[in-house]
Amino acid sequence: MTDLTLHFNGEPVRVRPDDTVASGLYRSGLRIFSRSFKYHRPRGLFCLEGRCPNCLVNVDGVPNVRACTTPVRQGMQVRHQNAFPSLDHDLLSAAKAFGWLMPVGFYYKTFTHPIVWKRVEPLIRKVAGLGVISESPDGCDSHDGYEHDYLHTDVAVVGAGPAGIAAALEAARTGARTVLIEQSPQPGGHLNYQRRNHPRIGERLGAKGASKGLTSGQVAEHLRAQLAASPKVEVFVHACCLGLYEGNLLGVVQQNRAAGGPESHGPAERLLHIRARRIVVATGAHEAPLVFENNDLPGVMLSSAVQRLLNVHGIKSADAAVIVSPEPDGGPVAEALRASGARIAAIVPPQDVIAALGRKHVTGLRTVDRRIPCDLIAVCGLQVPEAGLIAQAGGRLAWDEQVSAFLPVELPAAIFAAGRVTGTDDLEAALSQGEAAGRTAARSLDLSGASGDGETRAPKPSTTPPSLLRAPSAAAGRSFVCLCEDVTDKDLCEAITEGFDHIETLKRYTTVTMGPCQGKMCHLASIAACARETHRTIAETGRTTSRPPASPVSLGALAGARHHPVKLTPMHSKHQELGCVWMDMGEWKRPLYYTGGRAAASKRELVEAEYKAVRERVGIIDLSTLGKLDVKGKDGGKLLDKVYTNRLSDLRVGRVRYGVICDEAGIILDDGTVSRGSEDRFFITTTTGNIEFVHQWLEWWTVGTGWCVHVTNVTGGLAAVNVAGPKARDLMRKLTDCDLSTKSFPYMGCAEADVAGVPCFLIRIGFVGETGWEIHFPADYGEYVWDRLFEAGREFDVRPFGVEAQRLLRLEKKHVIVGVDTDATSGLLAADMAWLTKADKEDFIGKAALERSRSREIREKLVGFVMQDDLVPDDGAAMVIEGRPVGRVTSSRFSPAKGKAVGMAWVPAGVAADGREIQVHVRGIFGRARIVRDAFYDPEGKRLKS
Amino acid sequence: MSFLLRCPGCGARSVYEFRFGGEVKTRPAAGAPDAEWLRYSYGQKNEAGVQKEWWYHRMGCRQWFFAVRNTVTNEVLKTCFPEDTR
Repeated sequence: MTDLTLHFNGEPVRVRPDDTVASGLYRSGLRIFSRSFKYHRPRGLFCLEGRCPNCLVNVDGVPNVRACTTPVRQGMQVRHQNAFPSLDHDLLSAAKAFGWLMPVGFYYKTFTHPIVWKRVEPLIRKVAGLGVISESPDGCDSHDGYEHDYLHTDVAVVGAGPAGIAAALEAARTGARTVLIEQSPQPGGHLNYQRRNHPRIGERLGAKGASKGLTSGQVAEHLRAQLAASPKVEVFVHACCLGLYEGNLLGVVQQNRAAGGPESHGPAERLLHIRARRIVVATGAHEAPLVFENNDLPGVMLSSAVQRLLNVHGIKSADAAVIVSPEPDGGPVAEALRASGARIAAIVPPQDVIAALGRKHVTGLRTVDRRIPCDLIAVCGLQVPEAGLIAQAGGRLAWDEQVSAFLPVELPAAIFAAGRVTGTDDLEAALSQGEAAGRTAARSLDLSGASGDGETRAPKPSTTPPSLLRAPSAAAGRSFVCLCEDVTDKDLCEAITEGFDHIETLKRYTTVTMGPCQGKMCHLASIAACARETHRTIAETGRTTSRPPASPVSLGALAGARHHPVKLTPMHSKHQELGCVWMDMGEWKRPLYYTGGRAAASKRELVEAEYKAVRERVGIIDLSTLGKLDVKGKDGGKLLDKVYTNRLSDLRVGRVRYGVICDEAGIILDDGTVSRGSEDRFFITTTTGNIEFVHQWLEWWTVGTGWCVHVTNVTGGLAAVNVAGPKARDLMRKLTDCDLSTKSFPYMGCAEADVAGVPCFLIRIGFVGETGWEIHFPADYGEYVWDRLFEAGREFDVRPFGVEAQRLLRLEKKHVIVGVDTDATSGLLAADMAWLTKADKEDFIGKAALERSRSREIREKLVGFVMQDDLVPDDGAAMVIEGRPVGRVTSSRFSPAKGKAVGMAWVPAGVAADGREIQVHVRGIFGRARIVRDAFYDPEGKRLKS
Repeated sequence: MSFLLRCPGCGARSVYEFRFGGEVKTRPAAGAPDAEWLRYSYGQKNEAGVQKEWWYHRMGCRQWFFAVRNTVTNEVLKTCFPEDTR
């Protein structure tokens, strides 16, 4: 294997291909990896399994990357964080001289004067903190973003240590589809870094020729081979389980090893949503640090970290090491150190420890009776079960005095646990537990093909004495409990003295456990401190809640791929050819106005040209985005009568009515046209974007009634255009044989007819106030019909018109747009639509409310207005009386027909009288408006009906 | 919130496929007093426990149905299409 080169702060560093960033840099001699959050204390590698904050670096622009779990890559750019100018000489470490100004909770004590705080806070923010977010997305363009994936499985096992592997294998053997989730690069768990001998394990595993026993590594290999041979187990590595959610949903973030770098492909991270019927939690345990003076100095490491350096990365980490351990022989780390050629300077029990010595690196350890020179302190800490997922799932954890751990005692249904997470430290016991969990989980699913019953052995109680959390003789001042937030033992004691003596308030006040490690290193120690100072037991003190994510997760992974669905009409390419300015209406793209071939013209000129075309000749607008519903069945009339405020069951075939839907409070929900195509068929149009709601509404009022009616959303299946203008009939006559004369096809009529040979549904209505037809036809013919219409219209100088022109045209007719001129408080009567409901109509939705409002005073009314000056109010401008805002403009445009701006507005009912003058606030000036009752253009509708 | 909801038409699906339609309430008869209409339109029992409620399978069969759900634990006890009750 050839070495790779990465860059650390610009300098090239040779690393091995199987190194992590941390091991590679450590091998090259780096000892200070970061500076702490508050005091800028030098920090070195500590846990080497991604659970402490000490190795956070910036990798390729991404801040706060854990160097110890990040595999190296050729050309990687690694930079330090939170130190200036360098890790070795950090000027900001002068902050520790001001420690007295910044005790725990200092922002409630010092600098509290507003002026002082305003000056000081930005400084503090600059000095404290960890990484810096880069400006460009991810700071790294060399990956394809993020992905989400969805899986369903019978059994999911979280954690591929020996217990987890045993559970997965057994579940699969029992017939379950099984998923095994592991956050490190390969299954094996603690067997991958420990070097123990397991005397009887060979027989237990059924391994050939292993009567002498196997080493940890051999056991791991054997288990991995069994996994590989099991077709029913799907293994995910580099996959970290974030949380166990309701309904047995697991959120798992998987790093894509192939992402990044010049040959990257695929997403940087993948978020897996795994729905499992049964879950086995085998997340193991991690080592907790010992709290003593200067316990955060580089060179103080957890014994598991030392073992990883030695056994996994082959790095000799010390010349002279001190082991802090309750075991007289120092435990497995002692062997590992000896094998590497290090001298064991001493093995010290935790209760004898006082302080680590040294300024930027460990030079020795002071105990109760001596000073021992050394360059490494390996701390054998308490084993803390990683039971976070069990707590999230609602399981109960209780303090076990014998093992000194919070162990799961109550598991929710469908959740099982095995291995070190249950407090078991014995390998055989872990394997048995795993098998039992896997088998029980799979059996409970009632799968066929269950295999034979195996013997389950109860776990043996551990013979290893538990370690301590705190060295009793150490001074509290520089004994760090929380490495992430620089919270010392003394800080905790002070906070408790101040009254924060409940574990929840203590946490929030001191911020202990609230840093990147989220309590993995410090939760237990903080509980122990709280218990000690308040003279309670740990069981009485309790623990704070476990919440997802169980590990830090990037927002990009949670967001997934950026999909913004866009809906295009069948004539989209036509609009593009013509050139237009696009607008978004919900997910739809609609032309706001057309620009084709007239680059120099202003928006106002272009819109007015479209307006003119419709008023004087003929214009065509793409209406495909309208919601369209097909209501079929003999009881269609009953449904519509119930849901619309006016009567529709008596609508004759071939006729159209405008209708409004209200809710039970009489508030307008939507409006549209209802056309009767035949005795048992209605065709409904709704406002663009409201189709989903109206469809659901109609379905809801149908369900349980027993009516014979079927409502179908045909929005996508039909294209639609409005051909409008005095020449519309002349244009249409060229393409259809249908008799379009007012006698045969009056205003508010409908008919089926062929247009340009395409079967269409024609509706004669006039939203824009001119003679015209809405033509609905199969979407596949969109472009064809559009082309034929424009061909036929060329002699009349036909123009396409967009939403802006349509808004202006309809405004001159004082036609309401639901959602623009009305909102969630707009009642039917207030919106001047009393004509849409008759007192004698049978029960409909909103009838009671409307009757109620008839007898009560209406406070606000929707009216039209014309400006008396040359100002054009913005939509939303305030209506003003005597300097006070009393209402608002909903729509306002300059009207070519009137020569002045016109619009609609909500005003107090008292002034809603024809001819009444009112002021409008137009960008700082008070304009004058006159209230108008009728439409501004063709109030009698002569042009519409001709 | 990530529980599964068993649509009577389609089977168990992620709750995000559905739209919640509120507690099942009895619509007042025509001519009922205002107070009853107000309660129907704006009042909720907000039961902390088992309640009968409406759900709409918007990403599936597009049918409205009843669910009986414990609002505290999100355990769904029963789902069914409404009989001809309205």
